[in-house]
Amino acid sequence: MNNKGSILDKYLGLLNGPQTIGRGVPFWLGFLAIVATLAFGPEFLSRFQIINFSNFLISGFMALSLCLIWGYCGVLSLGQAAFFGVGGYAYGVVAINLLNAHGNTDIALIAGIFIPVVFAAIVGGVMFYARLRGVYVAILMLVISLVIGTFMRQTADPDYTIGAAYLGGMNGLRPASPDDPLLPSLILGLGQTIQEFDGRSVSFYYLTLGLLVAVYLGLRCLVNSSFGFFLVGCREDPDRTETFGYDVRLIQLSVFCISAAIAGLAGTLYTAWGTFIHPDGFGVAQNILVVIWVAVGGRKDLSAALIGALVLEWISLKLASEGEFALLFMGAILVTVMLLAPTGVVTTISDLIGRLRTKRSTLAASEMKNGEPDV
Amino acid sequence: MSDASDKPILEARDLVKDFGGVRAVAGLDISIYPGELHCIIGPNGAGKSTFFKLLMGIQRPSAGEVFYQGRNVTRLKPFERARLGMAIKFQAMEVYQELTVFQNLFIPLRRHHRPKQIPEQAAKLLAQLHLAGTEEGLVSNLSHGQQQWLAIGMSMAVRPEVLLLDEPTAGMSPDETSETAKIVKGLNASGMTIVVIEHDMAFIRNLDSRTSVLHYGKLFAQGSFDEIEQNEDVHRIYLGTV
Repeated sequence: MNNKGSILDKYLGLLNGPQTIGRGVPFWLGFLAIVATLAFGPEFLSRFQIINFSNFLISGFMALSLCLIWGYCGVLSLGQAAFFGVGGYAYGVVAINLLNAHGNTDIALIAGIFIPVVFAAIVGGVMFYARLRGVYVAILMLVISLVIGTFMRQTADPDYTIGAAYLGGMNGLRPASPDDPLLPSLILGLGQTIQEFDGRSVSFYYLTLGLLVAVYLGLRCLVNSSFGFFLVGCREDPDRTETFGYDVRLIQLSVFCISAAIAGLAGTLYTAWGTFIHPDGFGVAQNILVVIWVAVGGRKDLSAALIGALVLEWISLKLASEGEFALLFMGAILVTVMLLAPTGVVTTISDLIGRLRTKRSTLAASEMKNGEPDV
Repeated sequence: MSDASDKPILEARDLVKDFGGVRAVAGLDISIYPGELHCIIGPNGAGKSTFFKLLMGIQRPSAGEVFYQGRNVTRLKPFERARLGMAIKFQAMEVYQELTVFQNLFIPLRRHHRPKQIPEQAAKLLAQLHLAGTEEGLVSNLSHGQQQWLAIGMSMAVRPEVLLLDEPTAGMSPDETSETAKIVKGLNASGMTIVVIEHDMAFIRNLDSRTSVLHYGKLFAQGSFDEIEQNEDVHRIYLGTV
């Protein structure tokens, strides 16, 4: 490793660890360039495009949440959308109930993250402590998501209210009476300062971008910490890892809860973005889409999963005018990638770059050796 | 057995394990004493690996009990037994194939060391295992024998009091096998209690320790290696008539 790299490693510590692709000056310059481009987006994008980009960024949270539990810990959950939906509904119900009294949605935001975590702790506790693994976890999570979706669909009866919030069946969450407030966008209050982040505004876009960067960097630190090594140990060989004295069930449960928190945040942001949440969010397509983003990008790396989600979401928006063709095309992309680059497109490209660099540096080293005598 | 105290550190009492209609372990009583090096041999299907899995808690016994340092650990999970001081290297290749050598050691070493101390500890272990300088390479680039050493090293890394080694020399060259015997004897000399399952008679002769013979899930014979080697019944079931 060259000098520059090691100095950077020293300052960036966990951000630059072995469990994530990309370290050294070129990677972080590229990262800054992408963030800066996104930050200057509102300068050259139309209002409509900014609204769409906000939604892309929300997909990024979902990709990160699945990447953490699947790519790093080896637990494929086909029901990440359950946490997304639960987070969205939790945010909406609390926001509608407390908006008039509080004037902000602070507690709703916390509920949107925390309630999915409680839900994950219960479901995950049962699954992991019963030593369920592999396909059983995947299918159980999908079933749970579909069951919640089915339940939410039949809540059209006016009795299904939680305080001022009416679950509304297929029509989605709405106020129980005309006097109750509509489902609001994020309104954050700190002391006397109140800031509204309207889903259609540039401020919401910046908030989402900031949160996504923060979550991404936070997760980089997490997966490169000792805990990250334990996660990878659980992915590679859970039985072996347990014989070293680690409680694999507890590790899986903890990371499942963290992943649920991120999916819950995505659901919260989505609900605030469209001021709307309905039971379709729990469906098969929603769950499988996340898997496609992460698998196509590369499940074993945070950056790869994130790029996968953003690019595929952009492609699917471009194809949206084609109707059913869009989903078919997504399927075709998945099949092609699984055949040509089973570890994911971004991961494969990064491996190639890594190999080329090693080749070049060994070549350079041998040339140096031939050119001048070793001192 | 000269340095062994009277109280066993690890003890199986009337251990039974049924798989459907097959009785893999059929009432096994074996005591392992502190500081002992103990070999377990027996024909294929004698229940040796199953016995290890019962000792470590990977499988639950159908009947019988396991005691560790006088404590009944029969109902404890593998990680709980590991925390008490037990470690195992299974028969199958037990390394993380997709990780580097250093990362393989990081996970077990982290149990007792702070991250900053780990590079030094890893280097020490690797030197002991003739793997010095391989830190950054992927495990899949190591030879079969080297991977076995690394697997043993990973089990050593948690500083166990009792180490169970299931066929540590499987697939090794004669040179690697004799090196492995040196490593095992060195560990035992440092005070670690070691139980080894092996098929390689040269290796067991080299270890020259108390030896138990399993047959059809039962203890068939026990004694020093010389005694076992001269036992005609053992020859009949296992070594072949000479």
